[in-house]
Amino acid sequence: MTKVYGEGENKVKALDDATLSVEQGEIALIVGSSGSGKSTLLNMIGLLDRPTSGKIYIDGIDTTTLDDNKISSFRNKKLGFIFQFSNLLTDLTVLENVLLPRQIAGTNNNAEKEARDLLKAVGLEDQMNKRANKISGGQAQRAAIARGLINKPSIVLADEPTGNLDSVTSNTIVQLMKSMAKKLNQTFVIVTHDRQHFGDVDKVITIKDGKAFSGDMPSEMEVLAK
Amino acid sequence: MEYRLRLAKRMLFNKKGSLIGAVLAVTIGILVIHVNFVIFQGLFDAIVRDISNYRNGDILVTDEADYIDKSDLSVVSWFERIPYVEAATPRLSSTAEMNMTKNGKLIEETRVPIVGIDPFRDIKASTVHETIADGSYVFSRNSIVLGSNVARDLGGAEVGDSVKVLVVDRFGQDEVRRFTVSGIAKSPGGQGFDYTAVIHIDTLRDMMSRHGETGSFMVKLNDPTKAFEVKEFFLRSFPNDDFLAETIEESAEEQLAGFRSGIAMINMIGYFGMMSSAFAIVTIQMMLVNGKTREIGVMRSIGAKRKDILIIFIFQGMIIGAIGAGVGTAAGLGYTFYAKETKMSFNNSLPLEVSYNWEKIIQTALTSFILAIIASLYPSYRATKLLPVEAMRTV
Repeated sequence: MTKVYGEGENKVKALDDATLSVEQGEIALIVGSSGSGKSTLLNMIGLLDRPTSGKIYIDGIDTTTLDDNKISSFRNKKLGFIFQFSNLLTDLTVLENVLLPRQIAGTNNNAEKEARDLLKAVGLEDQMNKRANKISGGQAQRAAIARGLINKPSIVLADEPTGNLDSVTSNTIVQLMKSMAKKLNQTFVIVTHDRQHFGDVDKVITIKDGKAFSGDMPSEMEVLAK
Repeated sequence: MEYRLRLAKRMLFNKKGSLIGAVLAVTIGILVIHVNFVIFQGLFDAIVRDISNYRNGDILVTDEADYIDKSDLSVVSWFERIPYVEAATPRLSSTAEMNMTKNGKLIEETRVPIVGIDPFRDIKASTVHETIADGSYVFSRNSIVLGSNVARDLGGAEVGDSVKVLVVDRFGQDEVRRFTVSGIAKSPGGQGFDYTAVIHIDTLRDMMSRHGETGSFMVKLNDPTKAFEVKEFFLRSFPNDDFLAETIEESAEEQLAGFRSGIAMINMIGYFGMMSSAFAIVTIQMMLVNGKTREIGVMRSIGAKRKDILIIFIFQGMIIGAIGAGVGTAAGLGYTFYAKETKMSFNNSLPLEVSYNWEKIIQTALTSFILAIIASLYPSYRATKLLPVEAMRTV
């Protein structure tokens, strides 16, 4: 896919014919330096933005043909999001935040029990009735993981999920995502500039100047770039 | 609870300043209308009340030929057998010249309205006797009650003073009688007989050479809503007479027409006030939307449709409208209750005739509620236009 911002002389190619694929159950890291286009790529995969050209297939569906309502439903049912700043709604409790995607979907059957189980799984069983702004950054990120998983999405997209955390908490979050991926056979696409935190993963995609390259060896990438 | 309603409520209640501001805007809008209604409708109703109590009754019977020649007794008895009628009384009016000597000085007044009343029947059909500030009501053929302004113009006439009254009779002859002042009438707001003199009806008939004739009959009902029905029944019952009968609305129409348009204008101003409160809601809700841009982006990213965002902010408008309408109506009713219980008047003028007009109260509350929702439409629409990826960049 290609994404171009601006027009004329101000035209900027944020993604330049980037191609990648991720299989069910894989953990894929998207790495690259600041401004390389990795968040843009994630926004495209997450249907938060539309590519200028190209196609995005999720579960075999060409998402670029969907209208706004269908995109919203698709995001709700097929995608889970974990943001750098957790982005929990501070007006709600931790439990209510986790329940929200399910309530938006309108499928409330057993939702509360599943939300409680997820919060237990991420170690927040004693925090679930607290307002989202009353918990720590690490706890908020764990709650965001639970929220991202509540609708059993096809892909969980994480944008710098450890970017705002100290190293100890970052490790906890990384291990949590890895264990959830394994336990639930869940696909994770994670944008990070902090490659070493994640250790062994199924796939690494490096973004440089808007182009996507498989693998994370800088020398290999440079060779390919030439 | 529906998640959108819960979110709307939480977002709003967690921004107490905005909530209070928006609710106050609605409350003040409603309160202005209630206060306007209490004062201006109260003043209007007070004037109607006093015209009815002092001059026209609930039904005023006159004759096309200026004077009614049917006997008092027959007309009054006819009316008083109707269960809706409390009392009926005859009246006769003319103008007089008056003079009196006060402290050795002769003071004259011309063109003073003079009313002849039946002292026994009048106190049942009218409340003029309650306006006697000093002395007593007309009780004999030669007693006279002076309106406070007439008494003042006569150099400060007092109870017990002697007043000479000249009336021109039907043949153009001057008829002069001497009366003793039995009382001074003074009504709040001057709607009573403050500019009039009151004497016994038979004395005035003598002076006008109109024996057995009456100018009008004032009919007081115990249920004023039956006025039209009683009037029609009366006219049907005397088809061969030239009676004219009017309800208070008809007989006082000329006096009240200007006031009615004044009230309509004041109500318009009140509703403009309500519109201003709607603009305040638009501003406050725009602030709420701007303050929740990131949250809107997050909700959109986890699957909320534009419609869901629209509903959340419309719910906020509904909450603001409902609370504002409730508080405003309560405050308005409180003010109405206070005005009614204290018989509110301004500078000891006419006491307002305060009533609870439930139709208007509900209409005002509903209008403000609907206006609050309408006012929330634009901010809600703006919220739906935010792109999730842009919205989430907001810190």
